[in-house]
Amino acid sequence: MAASLVRFVRNGFGRSLNVARQSAAIVQTRTTTTETRPTVRPKDPVTHTQLSEFGEYIAEILPKYVQQVQVTCFNELELMIHPEGIIPVLTFLKDHTNAQFHNMTDLTAVDVPTRQYRFEIVYNMLSLRYNSRIRVKTYTDELSPLDSSVPVHQAADWYEREIWDMFGVFFANHPDLRRILTDYGFEGHPFRKDFPLSGYVEVRYDDEVKRVVAEPVELAQEFRKFDLNSPWEAFPAYREPKDAPKLESGDKPAK
Amino acid sequence: MTTGLVGLAVIHNPHERLRILYTKILGSLQAMPQDAAYRKYTEQLINQRFNHVKAEPDVEKLEKKINCGQIEEVIAQAETELALSRKMTEWKPWEPLLEEAPANQWKWPI
Repeated sequence: MAASLVRFVRNGFGRSLNVARQSAAIVQTRTTTTETRPTVRPKDPVTHTQLSEFGEYIAEILPKYVQQVQVTCFNELELMIHPEGIIPVLTFLKDHTNAQFHNMTDLTAVDVPTRQYRFEIVYNMLSLRYNSRIRVKTYTDELSPLDSSVPVHQAADWYEREIWDMFGVFFANHPDLRRILTDYGFEGHPFRKDFPLSGYVEVRYDDEVKRVVAEPVELAQEFRKFDLNSPWEAFPAYREPKDAPKLESGDKPAK
Repeated sequence: MTTGLVGLAVIHNPHERLRILYTKILGSLQAMPQDAAYRKYTEQLINQRFNHVKAEPDVEKLEKKINCGQIEEVIAQAETELALSRKMTEWKPWEPLLEEAPANQWKWPI
C-alpha cells in the first residue's frame, strides 16, 4: 500500500463497530509453525488489520451514514450505509485522496424476503492507486426509491437498469431507467425470490395470428420439491442459543 | 515531454498550481467544525503535501517525496479533493448517525 494512508487514533466514538467479526470462519488453533495443513487458506493478519483500520477511518469521517463496518475472513472490507448516504459516500470514496476508488467494478442487489427492507444493494469499488477493494451496502424495499449513482460513476448506468428490471428497485435521477434483459412486454421482476423458476408465461409462434404469443406456462411434469437439508449442521460457529421458557420471579413452574 | 498517460497533458508550472489548489482546499475546510474528522485528516494530509511542495523545487524529487504518481496526477487528486471538500460542507457528514438499520438488516447468515 502506498505510504500516504494516514494513521489515526483509534478510540471509541460512541458506536460499536463489528470490526473484528469474521463470517463463516472455522477457528484454527495451531501452535507449531510447520505447515501441517497446506490445503487450508492461509490467514493474512497484516492485510486484515490494514483493512479494518481503513474501515474505522472511513467510519470516523462519515458517521452520519455509516451504520456498520466489517472485514470478512477473506480480507474484504464491507461498509454498510444508510440509503440517504449513497451519493455522499460514493463521492467521498471516489474523490478523497486517501481512498481514490475511481473504479466501480460491480453493482448488484440481493433479495432477502424475510427482512423489512428486503433488497440489499451492493456496490463494489476498486482503487488502482492503492490496489484495494471495498464493498458498500445499502438497503431498500419494493417501493422506496434510491438515489442513482450515475452522477458519480458512469458505469452504474446499465447495472441500475438491470437492478430495476430484475428486482424492481427504482433509482431516482437515473438518465434512462428502462428494462434491459427481459422481453418488451414482460411483467414481473424475475430475480425476486417469490418469482418462480419457470416464470408465469411461455411464448410460442402461433400460425393463425402469424406472430409470437405469450400464454400461461404449462409444464409437462409437475414441479418436484426436493428437501436439500443436509443431516450435518451447516454453520457450527453460528449456533444461536435456544431461549428456554423464562419464569417471572414468584411464579411456580406448572406441574 | 509526456506524462505517458492518455488524456493527461504535461503541466509546466506544477508548484504554482498545487500552491493555489492547496490554499483553496484549506480555505474550504475552514467552513467545517474544528473537530470534524474529515477536516482533521484532510488538513493533515494537505499540509503534509503542501510542505513538500514548498520545500522541493525539483519536480522529479517532489513526485518521489509525495509518492502518489506523477505530478499531473497529484494535481488531479487535489482538484477532486477541492470539489469533495465543497460538497462535504453541504452534506455535513460529521453529524451523528441519521437512522439505525432495522434489527436484523445486516445479519448474515439469516
